[in-house]
Amino acid sequence: MSGQGMNLTLRVWRQAGSEDKGEFRFYQLNNVSEHMSFLEMLDVLNERLIKLGEEPVAFDHDCREGICGMCSLMINGQAHGPDNETTTCQLHMRRFRDGDTITIEPWRAKAFPIIRDLVVDRTSFDRVISAGGYVSVNAGNAPDANCLPVPKQDQEKAMDAAACIGCGACVAACKNASAMLFTSAKVSQMAVLPQGKPERARRVLNMVAQMDEEGFGSCTNTSECEAACPAGISVDNIARLNREYLKAVVFSDEGV
Amino acid sequence: MNWLRCALSSSVGKKFLMAITGLALCGFLVVHLAGNLLLFAGAEAYNAYAHKLHDNEDLLHVAETGLALIFFTHLYLAFKLSAENRIARGRGYAESQSKRENLISKVRPETWMLVTGLGLLAYMLLHLADFTLEFRDTSHYEGLEPFDKAVSLLTDPISVVGYLAGFAFLFAHLSHGISSAFQSLGLNHPKYNAVIKWGGLGFALALALGNASLVFWAQGQ
Ligand code: HEM
Ligand code: FES
Repeated sequence: MSGQGMNLTLRVWRQAGSEDKGEFRFYQLNNVSEHMSFLEMLDVLNERLIKLGEEPVAFDHDCREGICGMCSLMINGQAHGPDNETTTCQLHMRRFRDGDTITIEPWRAKAFPIIRDLVVDRTSFDRVISAGGYVSVNAGNAPDANCLPVPKQDQEKAMDAAACIGCGACVAACKNASAMLFTSAKVSQMAVLPQGKPERARRVLNMVAQMDEEGFGSCTNTSECEAACPAGISVDNIARLNREYLKAVVFSDEGV
Repeated sequence: MNWLRCALSSSVGKKFLMAITGLALCGFLVVHLAGNLLLFAGAEAYNAYAHKLHDNEDLLHVAETGLALIFFTHLYLAFKLSAENRIARGRGYAESQSKRENLISKVRPETWMLVTGLGLLAYMLLHLADFTLEFRDTSHYEGLEPFDKAVSLLTDPISVVGYLAGFAFLFAHLSHGISSAFQSLGLNHPKYNAVIKWGGLGFALALALGNASLVFWAQGQ
């Protein structure tokens, strides 16, 4: 590694627990390598805090390779930081400049209560999935491959929607804290496939009901979610959810 | 009918209603403007149109009731959704920045729908106070024919400023509103997305400029 690293001022949201009021604290971090990932930079901060006998900053992470959806963080007001289609764990410090002040906040939504510091409780997403984000399959022998023809376009639409890692950046970036991008991706990945057809009406009705129940907002179609999504999920899925919902209400036997 | 009540009170259902009432109001604005463009055709044509419209008193009342119903649904849901969305966020961010790269305008009219809607509401109250309820000083056009009444009102300085501001709010509201309504109704496809986006913007501009042209024209009368 050559030369001096960056000197940064971190403005970090600290909150001891869900009931705590919370506040921003400033930390000076010197000699930060531009090759570090954002989370490695926070690791360095935490090692220093531990040495000083202070509480380390709590933040969520797991795979650190952009697939698990555990990392979050609002970085300078942008979900997962400044890069498009990138998770916080894949964001590199070279995107920042020497002397920068970086504001780090947790996802903010009523349905994502803060557990501690930058860690929020995203189990509301799990409950939306439990409400219908599955297909029921009988146990037994695996069916023959290719016995259910799936047009290539549909297969691709389903795969694109299934890329969602459930991180919650869509909720964080939406001015309404709406979970429509998440829910619509989970509805779409099944609605376009033959395996998902039998339960499609019940699925969309129940998932939307659960989404509302959790206290997420509604969709104003600002497309901020799409821009913030590290998996590149398109708002086309939201239109598909709206269509699925309309069809389920008007034509299906659900709710009679 | 429990299923219907359930559906319409969901977040998605409320946005359906928002979209349908918003588009219906646009439909009204088109008819309203088309009628008023007859001002350009002269006093005779305009007066004939105005009298014909008001000859049909019963039909007019039915239409007005329908319009009021649509309007108040839109208004009620606007406040309800805005309040719910504010609660859904809870404590806001110290900093927030868009990550969108294809912004038509940095102002992002989609984040100002309630404000532009309220601007529109203020304009509509002034407009109703002028033409329908005749709350303001009526001495300038007492006993005049519709054409002359319109010219008189459209040259009133408060009306000129208020109306032009109202049309600006209309443009801002609809520059997002049209394409948003289509998306809310599930009408989204690569085949016609560009038409909705640019057509919606063009429609918003045409409505605002069409209405503004009447105000400018009146100054020369
Ligand atoms: C002639 C008058 C009006 C027209 C033509 C109109 C039209 C529209 C349209 C087409 C939409 C898009 C619907 C959607 O996103 O699905 C919309 C949304 C909206 N309108 Fe209006 N509107 C009018 C008056 C008002 C007024 C008076 C208010 C307010 C106080 C208002 C507040 C809103 C709000 C807040 C939204 C966004 C709702 C959301 O996305 O959450 N509008 N309007
Ligand atoms: S830690 Fe797994 S996606 Fe970032």
